[in-house]
Amino acid sequence: MASNADRALPSTPGAAAAKTPNRRARSADPNSARQSASARRGGATPHGRAAFAALQKRRTALFTPGKERRRSIRDQRETPRDPLRALSRLLAPSSQAIHSSSSPSDSGANNSSLPVVAEEDESHNFDDDSDDFMIERPRLSLNLREDDDDEYSELKPPRLSGLEDYTAQSIELPRRAISELPPGRPSLGSVGRESDYHDPPEESTFAMPAVESSPAREPMFLEDSEPMVGMEDGMDMDMGDENENENEPFGLMDSDNDSPGPDHRPEDTMLSLITDQRAQSPQNARKKPGKKISKHGIEYKSLPQGVVKRLATTFAKTAGMGKAKISPDTLDAIMQATDWFMEQLGDDLQAYAKHAGRKTIDESDMITLMRSIGVQATSNKLVHYTIRLGTTASAA
Amino acid sequence: MAPGQKLYPRATVRKIVKAHSKCNVSKNVDVMVFLDYVLFMQSLMKEAAIDSKQAGERGVSAKSIKKVTADTLAKFKG
Repeated sequence: MASNADRALPSTPGAAAAKTPNRRARSADPNSARQSASARRGGATPHGRAAFAALQKRRTALFTPGKERRRSIRDQRETPRDPLRALSRLLAPSSQAIHSSSSPSDSGANNSSLPVVAEEDESHNFDDDSDDFMIERPRLSLNLREDDDDEYSELKPPRLSGLEDYTAQSIELPRRAISELPPGRPSLGSVGRESDYHDPPEESTFAMPAVESSPAREPMFLEDSEPMVGMEDGMDMDMGDENENENEPFGLMDSDNDSPGPDHRPEDTMLSLITDQRAQSPQNARKKPGKKISKHGIEYKSLPQGVVKRLATTFAKTAGMGKAKISPDTLDAIMQATDWFMEQLGDDLQAYAKHAGRKTIDESDMITLMRSIGVQATSNKLVHYTIRLGTTASAA
Repeated sequence: MAPGQKLYPRATVRKIVKAHSKCNVSKNVDVMVFLDYVLFMQSLMKEAAIDSKQAGERGVSAKSIKKVTADTLAKFKG
């Protein structure tokens, strides 16, 4: 409503001056201006109308903070309303009053939702008659009561959610019916139920492959779980054999699997087995720096720690850390970052080279990469330095 | 820098890039890779120094390195 009062301003020069006489007229003789409003309001007696007008005035004063805001321009500028208002003023003359043909109740509904449309409506009404304008404003406040209707309409979504609950139940019923059908149709939700219909050993066999399976089996596991529910003993034997066969290639795991037995293993799930397996080579690599395996299965050594440490100390010095030494922990972290960086760099270079249809990483790929990174002009000195490094190294 | 010291591990850089990209590496790429790495290290140490200064540490700690690693890597992503 505040916005309405303010947006009416461009059409009425001297806004406050125009507003005050209207209000005074309303409070002075309510009979002339407020007949229809009083008919709607039910304020039969002049006292009632005057009281209602006073209430209305208080309410507009309450709901139009823009009036105070107008007085101090600084406050106005601080709020985001100011550009919005400027926008509305820009839009007001140019935009067509599409909704002006709609009924007043519609305009009221629009007022609650769309401020621009509301402005259009109001300007339209204002052009019609000033008395109508005065009547319109109580109607705007009446929207508060009409909002109750909106609230009732907003109560409908909970009913929809109730319907959803009902559908959820209706989904559950067929699920039971399916599970009561002859067994052998497993589903994730009904595994517990299926186990009731079958022999208890099957549960243990269900756990056994998970226990003893090697990491290579992991992708197979989900596929195996389906026949496993309705499985027979021969299947179990097969599963066991497969597992043993698959464990053998991993020589490291054999002794572990045999000695502790299946009871020890359930805590270490397959994932931990996988991580064990994958951690094997990096652990070795950490002990003896070198020998890592990239995702393409190619062994490589990471950069020598001496080089990394030298660079790190140099740059720590230039970064303003003085002659602080690089602790082993820090060096480890830097080495980790180095490895990640090299991996990322390799991936990027490969992507560029593949995109160019080459199988060789070229200088142009590297230049493209550095351009996309945005190597800055401030590092020119460093570029020269490193290029000199490279030329001397290649000459040597 | 000691005269006998290697300026930068050329063969290692080549091998690393080769392993990660599964591509051949042409002649001068390793120098530029090393340049890129040097720039990366510069950025990393700068960020880590800022971070550890803010944390009030004396030297560059591993924690600050770990903290800024992800950002710096993202900065050097092509």
